[in-house]
Amino acid sequence: MALTVDKASKSFPGVRALKDASLELRSGEVHALMGENGAGKSTLIKIITGVHRPDGGRLLLDGQDVLFASPRDAIRLGISAVHQERNLIPRFSVAENILLENLPRRTGLVDYARANAEAKKYLEMIGLVVDTRTEVRHLSVAQMQMVEIAKALSHEAKVLLLDEPTASLTGEEADALFALVQRLKAQGAAILFVSHKLEEVLAIGEPMANMTRGRLIEAMIGRAERIAVVRPPKAATGAVKLEASGVATAAGHRDISFTVRRGEILGLYGLVGAGRTELARALVGKDKLSGGTLSIDGKPAVIRSVEEALKRHRIGYLSEDRKYEGVVLLHPIRFNVAMTIWDRLARFLGFQTAAGERRATEPFARQLEIRTPSLEQSVGNLSGGNQQKVSLAKWLAAKVDLLIIDEPTVGIDIKTKAYIHELIGKLADDGLAILLISSELPEMVALADRILVMHEFRIVDGFDNDRSYEAMSRKVMGAIHRHSDEAVAVE
Amino acid sequence: MGAFFRLQWSGILVGIIAGGIALALSAPAFLSEFNLFVLLRSICVSLLVAYAQMVMLGVGQMNLSVGALGGLVAVVTGGLMDALGVPTLPAIMIGVAAGGAAGFVNGWLTVRTGINGFIVTLATASAFAGINLGITKAVPFYNLPADFVAFGNGRVGLFPLLLIVPLLVTVVLALFFARAVPGRHMLAVGGNAPAAQLSGVSVPRAIISAHVLSGLLAAVAGVLAVAQLGSAQPTIGSDWLLISFAAPIIGGASLAGGAISIVGTLLAVVLIGLIQNAMVLVKVDPYWVQFLLGALILAAVWFNRYRAIKVGEI
Amino acid sequence: MDPAPRRTLTSLLLRGSTQAGLFVILVVLWVVFANLAPGFLSKFNLNSLLRSVAVDIVVGFAQMVVLATGGMNLSVGAIGVCAVMFSGYLMQVLGLPIPVAIAGTLALGALLGWLNGFAIVKTGVNSFVVTLASASLFSGGMLILTKAVPLNGLPAEFGAFGKSAVGPAIGSMPAIPSLAVVALAIGLGLYVLFKHSTLGRQILAVGANARAAEMSGIPVDRTIVFVHALSGALAAAAALMLTARLAAAMPAVAGDDWLLPSFLAPVIGGTALSGGIVSVVGTILGALLVSTIRSGLLVLEIGNFWLPLFLGAFLLAAILVERGRAAYVAREQARRA
Repeated sequence: MALTVDKASKSFPGVRALKDASLELRSGEVHALMGENGAGKSTLIKIITGVHRPDGGRLLLDGQDVLFASPRDAIRLGISAVHQERNLIPRFSVAENILLENLPRRTGLVDYARANAEAKKYLEMIGLVVDTRTEVRHLSVAQMQMVEIAKALSHEAKVLLLDEPTASLTGEEADALFALVQRLKAQGAAILFVSHKLEEVLAIGEPMANMTRGRLIEAMIGRAERIAVVRPPKAATGAVKLEASGVATAAGHRDISFTVRRGEILGLYGLVGAGRTELARALVGKDKLSGGTLSIDGKPAVIRSVEEALKRHRIGYLSEDRKYEGVVLLHPIRFNVAMTIWDRLARFLGFQTAAGERRATEPFARQLEIRTPSLEQSVGNLSGGNQQKVSLAKWLAAKVDLLIIDEPTVGIDIKTKAYIHELIGKLADDGLAILLISSELPEMVALADRILVMHEFRIVDGFDNDRSYEAMSRKVMGAIHRHSDEAVAVE
Repeated sequence: MGAFFRLQWSGILVGIIAGGIALALSAPAFLSEFNLFVLLRSICVSLLVAYAQMVMLGVGQMNLSVGALGGLVAVVTGGLMDALGVPTLPAIMIGVAAGGAAGFVNGWLTVRTGINGFIVTLATASAFAGINLGITKAVPFYNLPADFVAFGNGRVGLFPLLLIVPLLVTVVLALFFARAVPGRHMLAVGGNAPAAQLSGVSVPRAIISAHVLSGLLAAVAGVLAVAQLGSAQPTIGSDWLLISFAAPIIGGASLAGGAISIVGTLLAVVLIGLIQNAMVLVKVDPYWVQFLLGALILAAVWFNRYRAIKVGEI
Repeated sequence: MDPAPRRTLTSLLLRGSTQAGLFVILVVLWVVFANLAPGFLSKFNLNSLLRSVAVDIVVGFAQMVVLATGGMNLSVGAIGVCAVMFSGYLMQVLGLPIPVAIAGTLALGALLGWLNGFAIVKTGVNSFVVTLASASLFSGGMLILTKAVPLNGLPAEFGAFGKSAVGPAIGSMPAIPSLAVVALAIGLGLYVLFKHSTLGRQILAVGANARAAEMSGIPVDRTIVFVHALSGALAAAAALMLTARLAAAMPAVAGDDWLLPSFLAPVIGGTALSGGIVSVVGTILGALLVSTIRSGLLVLEIGNFWLPLFLGAFLLAAILVERGRAAYVAREQARRA
């Protein structure tokens, strides 16, 4: 069985997601596909599995032209994927989620006894121990990820596409997955393994053997290491902007303590699901603290809402979820950038004009080199990189003292990424306190002055950053491994 | 799942039992055979109406045309019997089939045009009501077959014959959503449509099926309403909107989709029927029913939310 | 380079705004009705059309402001009936001066709307469910208190205002009814709110993306409570206009009957159900369109009975045409890019 993608292209309004991508998957081989989020990997997978229809190019299965109208068609022909988004039905059981499109039946009705037995088989294959009758909404992020993999296995797929399957897994879980991939390979499956972690790609097998033909693929390779800007180390001497002591939240954080100074970049590293974003949300008043105290500029403070964080404490949060929390796609650039400063722009009785917004936001749009014919352009029509710049511009306009930056370069082209890294450094040099959240270690090592490691809603360790990727990666990963071992030992 | 719904029912069940006891003590007429018959008969139509909406909530959509659709089927069925002299059974079958077809129109328009289902069914509700009025000129069909009307009024002890239909439907629906693949697929689409789609479930088909099922249920409700009233009134269905949402929501359904409870809906309909019955028995202004229903919905959703937060679901 | 786009009528129609398209449809309908039924352009018919459309416009506004935040208010009609009866009570039973009664009624509407918003924000329950329940509460409460007895002894000036007109009548064109002027004035106020104020921008930001708005420090909860209060006040304003038009406070005139028109006018006019986009002009045109069809069909004696069918079909058709046009424009732009 061989699957060939020949010069596939796909555009979404305002974005060219994929251009002339070609690749070939053969049974008994594992192909690794590298590249950052947003490089088009997910789009490629969605084209292969019939979620998106390509604008151009061909899809061949054993030399035959195929075009899938829906994921259903692809599954039927033995092509199955684990996508990046959570794709489980929260209120359905583990077994039912795994077997959703192919539930065993007896006399027309679902046979749950058999479904549970069958699902158990797949769970054993991947080494996940949970009751198959548990509703998936009660599982942890890592468990959900494993269920998704079990689900893909259940299709008895001949072509298996794994999109960042290890993002939320710990070291051991990931190792178990690698072993499984090798087993499936031996059984004759064709596997595409997508990741942005170089170590993984090197570990998993024949990397990039057939993938240098398409322009896009070439561009993907080697991106991971290329962090253009490395910020020189600097002793943090500014005043303490925020001090958290013993902070706890309903989400599960316990005993979180740290300080951020003006002029300093404090890194917060952790796997997906480690609780970094949840902590950021609690710090800006989106979620409540259930314990501990915050002190801002040396004074004890309680932040009850994001509005209060911004207006009273001058703290801003650049969300990782750009489309849903960062920008308002429907509205123009000036509207988005001015959102944080409307109060300041308002004149008599709250009156203001588009012209006033334009005047106030133009310097920031220019400073950030947002590429657009006009500030009246809807943000929905901009590229990912420019959207991120708009989201950043909003916080520059707000003139905050502390900016919490969550995964600032996800899904962004290489040039903009370098630019944003440079900008973050410059902001810190100008005296801004920055809390940088990232799951990309190279980015962390290049930018942060200190790195805190978060694992399962605790800060498990912290290091001064010596700018050496190898050393830091050993320290950070070591901390995470140590603590997942402890967690297992305690259980 | 069990703990969640059990808690749901228990609240409503306690309400029903407490209300029943209080009523029995304060108004002896409550326990009379005839009153219980009236109470049970009043539940029949409401229950089907509630199911018609519950199915839509299950797939994560709404159907504002439940009442108009039921009303249209009522006059079509009545018209067939009265004006065209069609025998009872064929007339009912044509009427119910028309309801299914109307549901299909709703579903097809929602899926094909991509217009929000709320607007589609708001518009078709108006259209169905227009056809209803156009056919009847607001004049009811009175001349219905005797056997049909007898079925609507018949009873065995305190049990109305009409009750057979909703009970049957309850059992079938319970089985459908718990064990049948199309039913599970509807709930999967309601719970997480993109995920269901990626798993090979056809989302458009699930949505259209839900609309057809909703149409069929509303149609059966319309036919039962005609049997119960003994005439095909063009106004049948005009006051169904509130109860259609109230019962499933009080019963624990979420507007977000994918979470419905048949037993919860059933008990909620009984509770609402009990309140209406109580108003009549203690001779309170009937306007209170409307007021209390509104208060009950708010209390139920608030309680639900509170409980979900306490349990840590949100 | 692109060739210069041809300025044909079709290309203008396709490229123009929703509102321009609506305006053209409106003109076409007027020409058709005027030709088919001479009675359509009679002074009497136009006057009654304008007076009834004035109420529909404000009812549409009451829904539009909530739609702007991506919510709904199913209790517009219920607040309307409460306001109708309350205004009657203030004027007839308490004998308060008309301006005081108007202010009191608007305050009641705002209060009931505020209760909606408060319940939505505090419980976190969908606005659809809350306003469905509160509609039942409000109208039930009103009926319990009033026993559904109409109030017919309103001050004469109040009814006279409902019939009055501004400016001279020209030829067969009637003078502009005062009610229409009131509706336009309210429209102007809302236009300024959405176009030129912080609050209006906050409403649109919340509607387009509530999470992004909140994460940018916008008080989402306060904004939602505000639009519901505003919606209640607008429903009360519509109720006052209706009471003036009928010169009596009757409980059966609003309620469920307002549900469809309240959505029709804004949705036809280009206000998005998903929030973040409003059009005051579109809502006015949408209400005019609905009233024109209703009045035209009545004058043509096609009959009142089939009217809902036409309205429902027309609503769907109007949205479909608009979607097709928007998709065409998007395709054109993509082709050029």
